[in-house]
Amino acid sequence: MSQGYPIKIYREPDLSQSSLVLGWSEDAGNLGRKVTDYLNRKLKGQEFAEIEPEDFFSLGGVTIEGNLAQFPESKFYACQELELVVFRSAPPGAEWYKFLNSILDVAEHHCQVKELYIIGAMITSGAHTSPRQLFTVVNSAEIKEALNQHDLVGDMDYQTPPGERPTLNSFLLWVAKGRNIPGVSLWVPIPFYLAAMEDPQAEKKVLSFLNKRLDLKIDFSDVDQEIREQNEQLARARSLFPEVDDYINRLESNLTLSEEENGELIKKIEEFVRESD
Amino acid sequence: MGIRLYQEPHLENPILVASWPGIGNIGIIAVDTLRGMLEAEEFGEIEPWDFFYPKRAVIHKGVLEYLELPDNKFYFKVIQGKELIFFVGEEQPTEGDRVYAEGKKAYHMAKLVLDVAEKFKCRRIYTSGAAVALTHHTMKPRVWAVPNSERLIQEIRGYENTVLTSDIEGRGEQRNITGLNGLLLGVAKKRGFEAICLMGEIPVYLQGLPLSYPKASKSVLEVLTRSLKIEVNLDKLDELDQRAQRRIEEFYQQIPLAIRGQLDRLRHVVYDKPAGPGPITEEEKKKIMDDVEKFFKKRGQGG
Repeated sequence: MSQGYPIKIYREPDLSQSSLVLGWSEDAGNLGRKVTDYLNRKLKGQEFAEIEPEDFFSLGGVTIEGNLAQFPESKFYACQELELVVFRSAPPGAEWYKFLNSILDVAEHHCQVKELYIIGAMITSGAHTSPRQLFTVVNSAEIKEALNQHDLVGDMDYQTPPGERPTLNSFLLWVAKGRNIPGVSLWVPIPFYLAAMEDPQAEKKVLSFLNKRLDLKIDFSDVDQEIREQNEQLARARSLFPEVDDYINRLESNLTLSEEENGELIKKIEEFVRESD
Repeated sequence: MGIRLYQEPHLENPILVASWPGIGNIGIIAVDTLRGMLEAEEFGEIEPWDFFYPKRAVIHKGVLEYLELPDNKFYFKVIQGKELIFFVGEEQPTEGDRVYAEGKKAYHMAKLVLDVAEKFKCRRIYTSGAAVALTHHTMKPRVWAVPNSERLIQEIRGYENTVLTSDIEGRGEQRNITGLNGLLLGVAKKRGFEAICLMGEIPVYLQGLPLSYPKASKSVLEVLTRSLKIEVNLDKLDELDQRAQRRIEEFYQQIPLAIRGQLDRLRHVVYDKPAGPGPITEEEKKKIMDDVEKFFKKRGQGG
């Protein structure tokens, strides 16, 4: 481990050739949080290390979410039998390079990680009823080749537009490449009107890929139930509010909505879901 | 994190000219334009990883091919018997939501730049930035010069179109030099280098806009090149200025007539002697500043 990196190891995991799955706790559809929580719950991940927050987060107080005070956490969990490491963290606000190297220090020196999978959500203007695709960006041609057998969209051409910045996932992929750790950034589209809520369909898309790739043998009946419930809830919203149905119909026909209509659809869906829960 | 030198040019007592982006990009345009015109050769850089977030990713057929971070490069040129080192920083290393560099990272970067100055035995350092002033965009910007040593004051008094801060007392709003263009001056003093910061005037009503102000960069370069005793053709900056002036004029016409009327009075302000009274009284000046501030506050709130 590099000297001076703010890592706290509670116990050394017994891993020889593991895979690291990483999710950010603040992204669209709460995807990173949901997927990492799910893996830890289903596969009995044991917390074994953390990155200390003071260099990376503004610690001027706490945020309040769902009536609870929240504090930035950056934690590692090990599912030893499956050679799986899960890392979940709030995205750092400073010292990104040091933070990303801290993650990879733990991965490399304490977990013998051979591959890295980064979970990312991208907001789409598509409808929730459209089939989801899983997009990938990799940091080497070799890992791209190794993923060929999976149902992925992996031929994207992209350059950061002027005035914007690359994602933290791209930054991590690049730092991992510098350390010869093959990495995959997974991107699943989340309809804009579900971005502030949860999207079990998106979760399942990522989880199904990880399940197959890492041979995790997960039974997804619980996620399927969540998908059914959300679909029913959204169907009720469509039947109760003709304008919601109209907006979603138009999205299903690949038409775009105006900014005002987008805002109205988000508001209606969020209100409806909040009142139904 | 540190310095990477690709080559070690043989230089004896060169002068270092350094700049980072700031208000109106006045300093960086001046320094980078001079560097480009002199075709200075790149010889090193400050490694960016610990200072910056990446600025561009290039993905080709699903493979992340390149991740670009802001450049912080050293160049050198020997011209007309003068040895020059340029340092051009593409961004200031900021922490949190701050606009300009401050704190540990900024200090560390200033120290690294001066490590190179020390290695090549630089005898003087120039930095450059902006001076926010009650002036009009149709007027020729003056240059405010801030040295870090008493013995440079007399020399500065001999520069044309240049004022010391004591000469502008009560006129400018600026009492400090924010960011690295200023910090380098202080760290240079601490390490025993003589240094001067040359700041081109930018009208107060342009300071918050994402516009460059090459007219002031030209004023800075006129002073800098005379001080360095080198001759260069600055026509390139006139072309840049013409383009910038068109955008500035478009913006200016959007300012409400009442405020524009006040600002128009600045077209006629001529400072015939450094500390002499101007044609606008202190009271009028305050009113202009208040009106401009109110306008921008309202504009910022979407009003």
